[in-house]
Amino acid sequence: MTVRSDTSASSRPLLAALPRVPAISPLVAVLVAILLILIVPPAIFLLRISLHETMPDGSLGPFTLRFYESLFTGRFFLPSLYNTMIYSLGSAVIAIVIGTVQALIVERTNTPGRNLAFFAAILSLGVPHILYTVAWLLLLGRSGPLNDLIAFVTQQPQAINVYSMWGMILIEGIGFVPLTFLLMSAVFRSMDASFEEAAIVAGASPLRAFWEVTLGMGVPAICALAMLIFIRTFESFEVPALVGLAGNINVLTTTIYQSARRTGAPNYGESGAYSICLILIVTVLLIWQNNLARNAHRYQTITGKGFRPRIVDLGPWRYLSAALLLLLFLFVTVIPAAILVFTSFLPFYEGVNLESFGRMSLDNYVILFGPGSFRDSIVNTLILGAATATIVVPFTALCAWLVVRQVKGAVLLDHLTMLPLVFPAIILGVAFLNIFVNMPLPLYGTLLSIIIASSVRYLSYGMRYAYAGALQIQPDLEGQAAVSGASGASVFRRIVLPLLAPTLINAWLLVFLLSVQAVSLPLLLVGPGSEVMAVTLFELWQNGQVTELASMGVLWMLLMTAVSAVFHLMTRRHQMNV
Amino acid sequence: MARVAGGSGFAKCLATGMAVACLNVAVAAAQAPDASILTYTGPDRAERLIAGAKREGQVTYYSAMIVNQALRPLTTAFQKKYPFIKMTFWRADSEDIQTRMSAEIRANKLVVDIAEGTGIGELAVRAGMAQEAWSPELAGIPEYMRDPRKLWMPTRMSYFGMAYNTRLVPAASAPRTYEDLLDPKWKGKMVWPLLTHVGAPLFVTNLRLTRGEEKARAYLEKLRTQNIVNFGAGNPRTLVDRVIAGEYPIALQIFAHHPLISAGKGAPVAAQLLPPVASAPGTLVIPKGSRNPHAALLLMDFLLSKEGQTILVNAEYLPVRPDVEPLATIAPIVPSRAGVQENFVTPEKLNSHTEASAKIVEELFR
Repeated sequence: MTVRSDTSASSRPLLAALPRVPAISPLVAVLVAILLILIVPPAIFLLRISLHETMPDGSLGPFTLRFYESLFTGRFFLPSLYNTMIYSLGSAVIAIVIGTVQALIVERTNTPGRNLAFFAAILSLGVPHILYTVAWLLLLGRSGPLNDLIAFVTQQPQAINVYSMWGMILIEGIGFVPLTFLLMSAVFRSMDASFEEAAIVAGASPLRAFWEVTLGMGVPAICALAMLIFIRTFESFEVPALVGLAGNINVLTTTIYQSARRTGAPNYGESGAYSICLILIVTVLLIWQNNLARNAHRYQTITGKGFRPRIVDLGPWRYLSAALLLLLFLFVTVIPAAILVFTSFLPFYEGVNLESFGRMSLDNYVILFGPGSFRDSIVNTLILGAATATIVVPFTALCAWLVVRQVKGAVLLDHLTMLPLVFPAIILGVAFLNIFVNMPLPLYGTLLSIIIASSVRYLSYGMRYAYAGALQIQPDLEGQAAVSGASGASVFRRIVLPLLAPTLINAWLLVFLLSVQAVSLPLLLVGPGSEVMAVTLFELWQNGQVTELASMGVLWMLLMTAVSAVFHLMTRRHQMNV
Repeated sequence: MARVAGGSGFAKCLATGMAVACLNVAVAAAQAPDASILTYTGPDRAERLIAGAKREGQVTYYSAMIVNQALRPLTTAFQKKYPFIKMTFWRADSEDIQTRMSAEIRANKLVVDIAEGTGIGELAVRAGMAQEAWSPELAGIPEYMRDPRKLWMPTRMSYFGMAYNTRLVPAASAPRTYEDLLDPKWKGKMVWPLLTHVGAPLFVTNLRLTRGEEKARAYLEKLRTQNIVNFGAGNPRTLVDRVIAGEYPIALQIFAHHPLISAGKGAPVAAQLLPPVASAPGTLVIPKGSRNPHAALLLMDFLLSKEGQTILVNAEYLPVRPDVEPLATIAPIVPSRAGVQENFVTPEKLNSHTEASAKIVEELFR
């Protein structure tokens, strides 16, 4: 395998001259170089903007440390940091617990109707995040049906206040359940049943075997996922802004956003300083996670023997698990989607009441199919999603495999691919705007520029997905192929990729769905003729055309569901062939 | 080896492409357009503009106006009038327009020819990006709305007021003055937009300008105890939607015509003007280095003309020309028609006061 052949002969004298520098495999060096080209320019932009005053014309002024100073001395920083930690941790816990339980039920039990969970998860991933949040607020808000119901029963007004920390955690956490479910089900699906069977033969109860072996083997994947959600929540904006600020709960993103926007002329100094601090925090977390991965061989479950997972017969309990799935389906998918569909037929939304039913019409759909927004941006959006996913997934699959095989220097790949996750999207958008507008290549304002930016943005998601999958493949198979004379490239293409295929197809879908939903990143990059759907949706929201937005959201959801259903069928079929 | 040869071929292609692109940029940069036409007032202005615009053949408009109701009909009407000009637009909030326009100017790669939005004109002036321009249509706009330096032009008016949910607040008991807002019965029931300079900061600026610093401060100290909710997700228009949905009974510092537009569709919402009513113009600017100044001027003339203003009126904006009537549904919130005192906050005042007002908001209300 060439990837294990460490350094080429020509680089040896140089390395000999620098004995303390660890050797890097040439393949890793090439990948690191590609990543550096993509990531360093926005990182430098962030660093520079955090260390200089921004002048009224947007240029950088004199050097200053005041943004870092105000970060630590400002009266909002510490309370915001505290709130952010609670919010991120809480959301990660909710998402992991619910998503993992759901994945276990679907992948490892004979619960009736379990395959519908995929459909449900994908359907809810198709709902634009801002609509999802609004739908939850409509449901749990002051005038929502739940408060009305409680008030009716208890005769006390204002029973629940969703504009609180628990409200934020609940909405954000549940929002991540579909993602967690998809990632964890990929992990559980590729687990070798023989480990559990061995435990049962050795005298463990099925429950204990399940708990200690199955969940135990999922630990690295769960940790990787928890970190992904933690970081993603750390920099999330919609829920903190819609839910948190209304309850006077500040988190870092809302504090920073306010400082960037309050005076009209944008000033991104504090946001830059904040991002740099966040990068440092995440680097520490990654080092910790890499230590965990050093023992990765303990979790490798895909061997040369075949790996059909064992399905547990729950007996009569399977109806309980089915009820649990149904409940999740209801809360994660049906209710937000139903509110959206309901709103899409109205001239304005004023809560769920009988009068609203009398006002229903197809007007919003008529506008939708008229000239303009929807039709203009749909092709661009599909190209954006497909291109981003097609760039990100194979690239991160290769990176993840090298990291898991601990090829020299590959740890750098892990760090570099995680970095874009901590660039707040709004800042990454400004950074790429400045990069593209100053480039000699005519990329500025084109769809290609958005594809490049979102490929960088979603590297981390592809990486986490592929990493969790690659972690489970034992090196024996590759070793045997290499011994039989296969080259590194053909081992990767003919052994690793097919084994990773179910994971990668899911990863493709995920990156596709995430990149077509992003708003802050393409907002500044789109030009006339390169409009994308999510930005159009955001504009409708900004202009108060909520009901039009809902109708566009419904169509969008249907389209995404169709795309996802095709992929789901492909995953299943592929699995049959493995 | 074939692969290496292919690689170098690709590299050659890439290098050639980059060279051509660099050349294009260099040529574009070298052809700095003649901006003298912008201030030209001679009798042959119209002919010169048309001749120049025919050569340019295009104009790019960055605007904060709503797409389907305003930008599309504007584009259609403009292109019908000047079929030799291809008009393209990009819609974004004023802050994003400013960010993008300044990035283009600094890179000497200007795509925008004319930009419009609330506050955009003065932001561009402060950044040294605005060019002086003249239009015969300015004569139709009241002098107090115009920039004496002619660096920006007013395009539409915004009047700020209060929205309330008519199911939660009966019209008879709704606050009618700033003092009424201090009534304890509204404690915790009011909300204002936080993350925009025309939100809470303009509320404070209006009071500082009309009452003086000390009296404004004393009033705001009292208002502080009313626990106003800070709305951070979206602009004032989205806040009105939350009021309609019944999330908040009263929203302060919103565009006063928005509740009326929704009420026209049957929504349970009403607008209330609190005297003195803050008003501010949307402004347009032709940035320095505009590559199509003739076409930009024709578009500017069109936007300020009766014809252009009528299109904006039909998109439910409020006109700057007295000879263009606002829509009857939203006309009641124009202070002069309602018999209510108006405080016209010029873009200069808005800009010079916002920073300090935002600090007061942060100190007292967060």
